Amino acid sequence: MESLVGASAEALKLLLTGDPEIWEIVGISFLVSFRAILFIVPPAMIVAFVLAFSEFPGRPYVITIVNSMIALPAVVVGLLLYMLLYSSGPFGGWRLLFTQTAMVIGQMILAFPLLVAMSHVALQSIDLTAWQTARTLGAGKIWAMFTIMREVRFGLIAAIVTAFGRVVSEVGCSIMVGGNILHHTRNIPTAIALETSKGHFEQGIALGVVLITLALVLNFTIAIFRGRDMARY
Amino acid sequence: MVIRKGECVVIHGDNGAGKTTLLKILAGLIPPDQGIFSLNGRDLTWRQAFRQFRNEVVYLHQTPYLFDRSVEDNVAYGLKFQKQGRAQVHEKVETALEWAGLSNLAKRNARDLSGGEKQRVALTRARIIVPKLLLLDEPTTAMDNVSREHAFSLIRDLANSGNSVCIATHESAKSYQAQRVVEIEQGKLC
Repeated sequence: MESLVGASAEALKLLLTGDPEIWEIVGISFLVSFRAILFIVPPAMIVAFVLAFSEFPGRPYVITIVNSMIALPAVVVGLLLYMLLYSSGPFGGWRLLFTQTAMVIGQMILAFPLLVAMSHVALQSIDLTAWQTARTLGAGKIWAMFTIMREVRFGLIAAIVTAFGRVVSEVGCSIMVGGNILHHTRNIPTAIALETSKGHFEQGIALGVVLITLALVLNFTIAIFRGRDMARY
Repeated sequence: MVIRKGECVVIHGDNGAGKTTLLKILAGLIPPDQGIFSLNGRDLTWRQAFRQFRNEVVYLHQTPYLFDRSVEDNVAYGLKFQKQGRAQVHEKVETALEWAGLSNLAKRNARDLSGGEKQRVALTRARIIVPKLLLLDEPTTAMDNVSREHAFSLIRDLANSGNSVCIATHESAKSYQAQRVVEIEQGKLC
């Protein structure tokens, strides 16, 4: 208990004194996850839109597969990506293994099904009449799509925030394809795993506090957006 | 079925007779099983007709969908696709809101309005883009008498201003003062 209190006090000191190593790790975490979400949101929204508003053979199966992929273990994604990017793998020539780009790709794969599934649910909540209204008033397909997305914006924002929360805290994929290299690919979860294994609890706790704070902020944000969405009905 | 320029036609039939389906086909929202469109003696497929008339035919749902934004933004929605200047749009929206007696509700969120007010916003939103053909699906259903009279008056005004108006209803067609009433039964025009 004494060591926990001592480590926590040391962790707070590290955070409050602006320890450069801690904040660099936080910066890498946010940068990688932000880029992953930025790149994956447009294709995920398009897929969610197609699933919500179009009919094609096998559509229910695609929805089931996407929903199942939400539970995809991060470490399995990391393993598959590692095998693809390994020097003798099919994309080994691209030299992406143990880079932030590899981490971004891994997090994009992890975020994709969650974004599609949650956006699909949000889009399905809107009546087809909305799409037909936009079209009959002269909107082209792309503009009508943006109109519908604006109608369910709170649900879509909640999907994006949830996906960010998932990827910023995942450890399995980042450690496998990022390699946990200091100043380069070490992010919050991989640093916590490493520092804890070395017995440096204070740095682990400090980074844990950042993650917990982030989780609280994200959850409050989602609650606010969900509340606004519900208030409309 | 022929709709002439400036004509007000009522399609009258029982629930389930096919009125909504017919209007949605005319609006290009659903494809027909068979049949052709003809314009000035030229035959068109449904897809060709839809492409050609997309900005000229407006369909109003029985329960109109209003976007989650202000009344004036809803009314201005269709003007975005007509490439008009901001000042011109503003002026047109103001005039249209006045026409429908909605000026005092301009800044309100359209979702917060009563059923009758929502129908008037939808009519105004359709009217402002000056469609060549306006398709109205049961426009006065579930309205109280005051709102209904107001809606009738707006629809008559629309029809008298040179637009072709086609109204589907299961109620009496008299109130619309249509030039023609077409009966529909089990998907067939009589």
